[in-house]
Amino acid sequence: MTSLELGVWSFPLLLGMIFLRIPIGLAMLMVGFFGTWLVTGSWTPILAQMKSLTYDTFSSYSLSIVPLFLLMGQFATRGGMSQALFKAAETWLGHRKGGVAMAAVGACAGFGAICGSSLATAATMGQVALPELRRYGYSGALATGCLAAGGTLGILIPPSVVLVIYAILTEQNIIKLFMAAMVPGVLAALGYMITIAVYVRLKPGSAGQRARAGYRERLGALVAVWPVLVIFTLVIGGIYAGFFTPTEGAAVGAAGTGLVALFNGGLTWRGLGEAITGTAISTGMIFFIVLGAAVYNGFLAFSQLPQETANMVANMAVSPWLVLLVILLCYLVFGCVMDSLSMILLTIPIFFPIVAVLDFGLPGEEMALWFGVIVLIVVEVGLITPPVGMNLFVINSMAPDVPLVRTYSGALPFVLSDIIRIAILIAFPVITLGLVRLLY
Amino acid sequence: MRSGLDRLIERIAFWTAMAGGAALVVVLLLTVVSIVGRSLIFAGLGPIPGDFELVEAGTAFAVLAFLPICQFHRGHVTVDLFLSRAGRRPNALIDAAANLLMTAAAAVLTWRLFLGMLDKRSYGETTFILQFPIWWSYAAALLGAAVFTLVCAYTVLRSLVESRAGQPAPKTGPR
Repeated sequence: MTSLELGVWSFPLLLGMIFLRIPIGLAMLMVGFFGTWLVTGSWTPILAQMKSLTYDTFSSYSLSIVPLFLLMGQFATRGGMSQALFKAAETWLGHRKGGVAMAAVGACAGFGAICGSSLATAATMGQVALPELRRYGYSGALATGCLAAGGTLGILIPPSVVLVIYAILTEQNIIKLFMAAMVPGVLAALGYMITIAVYVRLKPGSAGQRARAGYRERLGALVAVWPVLVIFTLVIGGIYAGFFTPTEGAAVGAAGTGLVALFNGGLTWRGLGEAITGTAISTGMIFFIVLGAAVYNGFLAFSQLPQETANMVANMAVSPWLVLLVILLCYLVFGCVMDSLSMILLTIPIFFPIVAVLDFGLPGEEMALWFGVIVLIVVEVGLITPPVGMNLFVINSMAPDVPLVRTYSGALPFVLSDIIRIAILIAFPVITLGLVRLLY
Repeated sequence: MRSGLDRLIERIAFWTAMAGGAALVVVLLLTVVSIVGRSLIFAGLGPIPGDFELVEAGTAFAVLAFLPICQFHRGHVTVDLFLSRAGRRPNALIDAAANLLMTAAAAVLTWRLFLGMLDKRSYGETTFILQFPIWWSYAAALLGAAVFTLVCAYTVLRSLVESRAGQPAPKTGPR
């Protein structure tokens, strides 16, 4: 077999192992390890590489942002900020038709501004908002569906762990990516609220009424969310202004949310232990996949597959938009069974060189930012599509009286909203790039 | 019905993770202090010298120290699509096989990391600013790698016991 063929065959092998329930990181590590051995014809290169690769990968300064953002999210879930956010959103939006569900989405968006993970956002806001939604007579499908969808805002609105990984893989500026994701993130929240408004009109009886809150109560609730605003502004503003590096920003954010949790009594020794355990499990999971991907991508580079594929696609006389469509469809299909981070690590080394040689009428860097945000949204759709949508599972497990099928059906309108938004973002790159162009 | 061994391994994984967590908190505080120092240069203060190097060494130690608890609590991402209806016994056996492979990978990783440490020591490589020997960071990271291998080996045993007892494997998944 030629090296190129080895590269091609490694893909079905890898997928086979993954479907046999071998951890994704391990599958990539093993295929990459033995693949490099076959391609180079000797054990020496891969064994020599393994001497320093583990340490080099885990000590990367740009990756150190990931455990810090995860710790920040853990502190945020313990700091009572989710209650304050939901309360504020509820007093302003709750009296509308479907308003409590809109408030849940709005609170998710706010929480996403201090938490970089979808699962944590869904789980934290679910605990706060689900009882309220049920109390005001929202149907099980709508209540769990809107929270599962709202959770995806956690990763779309910066800070975002997946965007950090994308930035490292494609050598892009992290803060520009964060800026690019900002407007699409706000659009996502608005789109979900519109979806709710349409849903409750098409399905009367799926939502109850809540009394209008007075302006004194509204302002009081709004004041209570000041820590979230301060931390978000400090972290994102500080990084943008060049006052600190993204890693330093993450440390400041973690310290800030930690302080809030300490003042609100959520950070006892026990709470700290739980926060660290949660951070440890997520960090271990992410970095093990990153390590596996590093070995696998090293093998792919040896096999020349990414370059050859990119050349082949460039020489085919097909429309770049068609190629983009095929890539996004791949993500939608894979997203049904795989988590977003593994998908990004597995596919970006192959897809990005392909997209980079295509002409979308955008300069190279802008194309990379735009593609990154669109891919992020597409892989996030996977979190709320059956059969393996992690957010659906997380929220559904909190509502024992709602059958999983109801949660599936409740999430579908939001998937539709996502697909419409993806189409809009592809048609008008300026929505994604406008803020970046304005600021730089 | 947990065995004493199970509790012991969990304790080891937990305290290793706590050591990593302590390192992460130190990285966090050090970074914040460094930023404050840098912004007060006019007052005669300054950033902590070599803060980047300390962040890198601390993160590497923390991440490796986090791997054991991730393995113990079944935190690694798997795709559970085709085998979910295959019954408990076959699934526990597949878990045992996957954990065995994981143990092999962890052992290779630890072995290579150890040799990497010996290399760095014999070259006398140091960091750029603080000039501390890099092999110290490797040695610290080895702790997590060794515990990771130990916990992996235990999870093979655990899956085998689960396959015989036919008890449901608790699903925790990624958090």
